[in-house]
Amino acid sequence: MSKGENRTDHLPRSPGVGDDPREHKDTNTPPGKIRFRDLDEAVIEADRCIQCGSCAAACPSDSIGIDEIDGKPTLVKMCTGCSRCWDFCPRSGLRYERVIEETEANREGSTSAYAVRADDDSAREAGQDGGAVTALLAGLLEAGEIDGAVVAREREDEPLRGEAMLATSREELLESGGSIFNQTMQLGEIDRVVGESDLDDPDLALVGTPCVIQGAKALESFGRPGEGSEIALTVALFCTRSFEYDRLTSLLVEHGVEPEAVDHLDVADGKLFAYGESETLLETDVEAFDAAGLPGCEECADFTGRAADIAAGNVASPDDATTFVVRGERGADALDAAASELEIEDLGDDTALRKLAGWNRRKAEETLPREFDPEGDLSIGYEQHRERYDDTDRAPQSHNPARAYQYERWC
Amino acid sequence: MSDVSVVGPAWLDDHRDEVAVVDVRDENSYESVGHVPGAVNVPYEAIRDPTSGTAGHLPTPAEFAGLCAEAGIDEETPIVAYDDGPGVYAARLLLTAAALGHEGELYLLDGGYDDWSDSYETETGPVEGDEAASYDADEPGSPVVGRERVETAVDEDETVLVDTRSAAEYDSAHIPGAVQLGWEDLVADGSLKDREEIRRMLADRGLDADREIVLYCNTARRLSHTYAVLSELGYESVYAYEGSLTDWIREESDDWSPEGLEQQVREYADEGFEALVDAHGDGVLDRLKLIGLYHQKQRGYFMLRTKVPGGNLTAEQARVIGEVADEFATAPEEYGGAEQNAEFGDAYLDITDRQDIQMHWIELEDVPEIWDRYDEVGLTTMQACGNSVRNVVACPVSGLDPEEELDAQSVADRVTERFLGDEHYANLPRKFKVSVTGCHENCARAEINDLGLLPARKDGRVGFNAKIGGGLSDGPRIARDLDLFVEPDQVVDLVEAAADFFIDHGSYLDTAVNRLRFLVAEMGVETVREEIEARASFEFESAGEGLTERYRGDHVGVHEQADGNRYVGLNVPVGRMGGAEFARLADLAEQYGNGEVRVTLNQNAVLPGVAPDEVEQLREDPVVKRYSPDPGPFTRGVLACTGKEYCTYGIINTKNRAVRWARELDEWYEQEYDGPADPDAIRMHLSGCSASCAQPQIADIGLRGEDRRTIEGSEPAVDVGLGGDLGRERFIDWIVGSHPTADLPDAVRRVLDAYAADTEDEPFSVWVEQTPRERLFDLVTDRAESTATPTEADD
Repeated sequence: MSKGENRTDHLPRSPGVGDDPREHKDTNTPPGKIRFRDLDEAVIEADRCIQCGSCAAACPSDSIGIDEIDGKPTLVKMCTGCSRCWDFCPRSGLRYERVIEETEANREGSTSAYAVRADDDSAREAGQDGGAVTALLAGLLEAGEIDGAVVAREREDEPLRGEAMLATSREELLESGGSIFNQTMQLGEIDRVVGESDLDDPDLALVGTPCVIQGAKALESFGRPGEGSEIALTVALFCTRSFEYDRLTSLLVEHGVEPEAVDHLDVADGKLFAYGESETLLETDVEAFDAAGLPGCEECADFTGRAADIAAGNVASPDDATTFVVRGERGADALDAAASELEIEDLGDDTALRKLAGWNRRKAEETLPREFDPEGDLSIGYEQHRERYDDTDRAPQSHNPARAYQYERWC
Repeated sequence: MSDVSVVGPAWLDDHRDEVAVVDVRDENSYESVGHVPGAVNVPYEAIRDPTSGTAGHLPTPAEFAGLCAEAGIDEETPIVAYDDGPGVYAARLLLTAAALGHEGELYLLDGGYDDWSDSYETETGPVEGDEAASYDADEPGSPVVGRERVETAVDEDETVLVDTRSAAEYDSAHIPGAVQLGWEDLVADGSLKDREEIRRMLADRGLDADREIVLYCNTARRLSHTYAVLSELGYESVYAYEGSLTDWIREESDDWSPEGLEQQVREYADEGFEALVDAHGDGVLDRLKLIGLYHQKQRGYFMLRTKVPGGNLTAEQARVIGEVADEFATAPEEYGGAEQNAEFGDAYLDITDRQDIQMHWIELEDVPEIWDRYDEVGLTTMQACGNSVRNVVACPVSGLDPEEELDAQSVADRVTERFLGDEHYANLPRKFKVSVTGCHENCARAEINDLGLLPARKDGRVGFNAKIGGGLSDGPRIARDLDLFVEPDQVVDLVEAAADFFIDHGSYLDTAVNRLRFLVAEMGVETVREEIEARASFEFESAGEGLTERYRGDHVGVHEQADGNRYVGLNVPVGRMGGAEFARLADLAEQYGNGEVRVTLNQNAVLPGVAPDEVEQLREDPVVKRYSPDPGPFTRGVLACTGKEYCTYGIINTKNRAVRWARELDEWYEQEYDGPADPDAIRMHLSGCSASCAQPQIADIGLRGEDRRTIEGSEPAVDVGLGGDLGRERFIDWIVGSHPTADLPDAVRRVLDAYAADTEDEPFSVWVEQTPRERLFDLVTDRAESTATPTEADD
């Protein structure tokens, strides 16, 4: 909290909502002190986590990992109480609309929208709606503009479940093409995937949902010196919401579709499609899958990923093309550098895009227990969060004792 | 093996005369609340041997035979057991009997005492039992099995492992391949569910009666109930993993023994770090802590922690430590080499606030050589870190202090010796810190240790009063009085009993909250006292008259000893000094002193036994001049942990920052501070993170590393607390969270100026206590002026 932003910060800090022996102690807690446990209760246990991975990326001691079972953040080492996981979480301490506002205010250059297709058949085949994102990344890799792209691919051991990967070649990009409809904690996975590669100090493209890009942008703009500097280009995928993996697969089963049989999913024009190798397995109103949506996504008003250099998705352009919103110099330069891989047309009528973005924003503003305020303080303190969220259906939930942190690594 | 049948109250009413009815509730419930007429009392606690650790919790055959014989039961007597719930405890008795070779029938009373007392008569008071019988118990056998059986089960398909804990517990961790069947799901309203419903649940999980089944839970208690139920349903091959998950988790890694780990290090010393990690996985880095090797932030390099019990080193030992630091604690070129640290250069060591000595940049290749040199002079790094009895701290001037009541050093040595290399005690649920004070000044800080001993007198005898459950970190607590007086000879036994208690009750699973202090808070100090007494070999007596008169912050300065000589307390700011300088202290100890170098809980060093007329000459030595016994108050009081420089947890850099601040503030203090209060030392403790290794909670000014994120970016920051005072058993009040480090010296000046203006001679902690929190907050943050603060790089 910067000075003067929050006059309540000298007051004693509220205890967490769950009963934790550490709360009963012989001293107070510093005003504003936030630990992972607070994030856990306010975001993860409250079923509001959007699995963007910002918390894991922000943690200076690498204490936050991914729970193998639910794919959500969990402590794997001692928490040192630095508050960063909270400070960079778009569902708690980070006012994401302010991040967007700051990003747009500081961006040089203009914004344009295009309908884009891959020039290459294989990319078109692999990617969704014209394979344009795959082709863009391949073009950037081959032009030497980036050394790798952090993307999502389907896990080998679980159908439809995504995982973060670093693609460093056209082949690897093709392998990852097509949307994954659940989150992978991507931002927090960058260090791991880079560490497992041969790359040293690479320039990366980050492809993800708008929240992933918000987190990345926040680390770059408001982090420690040099933080986030490895990300040379951000690409957001238009998003109204992502799905919780287990709920998604059980709903598919309820609809008579075995997840193993699904080659890929698509959401278009309010319908959810499940495709097998050669046939359509399911076509249904996407509302039928509402229950599988991540509740945290409902608080997001950023359908078009406004913090990203390029945002892409299948709204407003013809069926075989992808809409690209290209922003600022970084976006425009990237598009230029990969131009030989792409067929680029002006988008023309962007009404559909604006309508959907507007609808999404209105919905988010209705859902958000706090005010949606692009001019508001970047930071939302623990007390402020509690003030707005307590007594709503998004209130912090007591930490589940069965998820007690079990780790062997201490100081 | 004996089968268990589950019977109802009506059956028992019909057969009461043919069986021995055993009530496993505590004696009080049995006698006062009531029991089944004629039932004998064998309290559940009596058949759990809390000291048997991972081997399980079974009593020895002799203990069990004794209990049965006393209750008039021989090995052929049919037994009906009950408790006051659905039967977990009673089932445990039956399982114990089965494992120890009981030949008579075994019955579990469904619904326990409550269901019985609803419909049938009860009686109170003790039962005059039958005449004592003789009981012949076997060594433990089937149905109890050990981990080998479980390992086989994990690998093959014939046997099913069954986790009898809740689904949530199962979800968070279970043995590979195990099926979950919570014991509580088998009962409703305190008694067993309909048998057919249970059969369906079993069938759902593929648990057919002809399969071999191995049950486990956390500590082999809950599984007993499931054992009884399966046995009742005709399952014939049901076994119980006595060690259960606690054993599994601790033994899963190949080697947690200090000796085994030492062997691994020696084996891989030639091939190097990566070869060791390749062979044993990254997990080995956690295990190596147990033998004093702590992997530092820079991959491939270790911090080496040397234990110095009571802080007492011979000159020879001090010289070896200094030489080792000078030779091996050197940074490689890529990390700055001889200029790795702007303030301290290279080849230095750190005296810690628990009387250890740490050095960095140690490579695996050099460790055997270091150990060999250590062995020759009787030094060790074994169990310096990890979940064991840590370095025992004691008065750094024991044997010298003119007013001392007891020699704390010899007690610390005995405790150290008892636990050194003991594998059983090397794997406690968490670390276990012991402090021994022999003087009137509580200089070993009993209140912040798991077990603290302070001098006391009782009936003319001098010994210790014990405190238990102190600690800092997350959820700090002042240790509670255990109301226990021990003689010096009983201390080792007490520590052992307390460690046994910790092993039995501390959770190996809930690792985030399992220091002893959480048990004390949960169970209450009276219960903890009873539990420890039950494990001790001597009878506990109530506390004696405490002899502590005050709290002594440090030993800096020249002080008179009991023998008329002087001890010279050197001030080593933040505990860091060159290895060569430390070796020089060894020379000075031999030349001027009694041949000892002591290290203190304030990260300082003491040279004892200096003749009064040689003190001035000693002061002329460059090392004594540099680490002067007459420092400014901030330099004297400053303490810092390792910090981000080497520690994987540190959020900010600490040592350099703290010495710079102390220097700057001393100048200000000398030139500008105009306070009536003129302390020798102003204790400013800087910890790099919330783990609180620099003990900020007991400082005048306690600081804990933070990261401050604003719209301008992130910058190093500290939580600021004021007014800790162990003499008044008071931790600091945390006043401000995440204050920029760039402003910290100014913040300290503002606070001290206000203190000076407000008070004549009140202690700082009293002033803090009396000043409104809002005012302190405004002083630290400079709210009144609200100028923009500069930012500071974290170097």
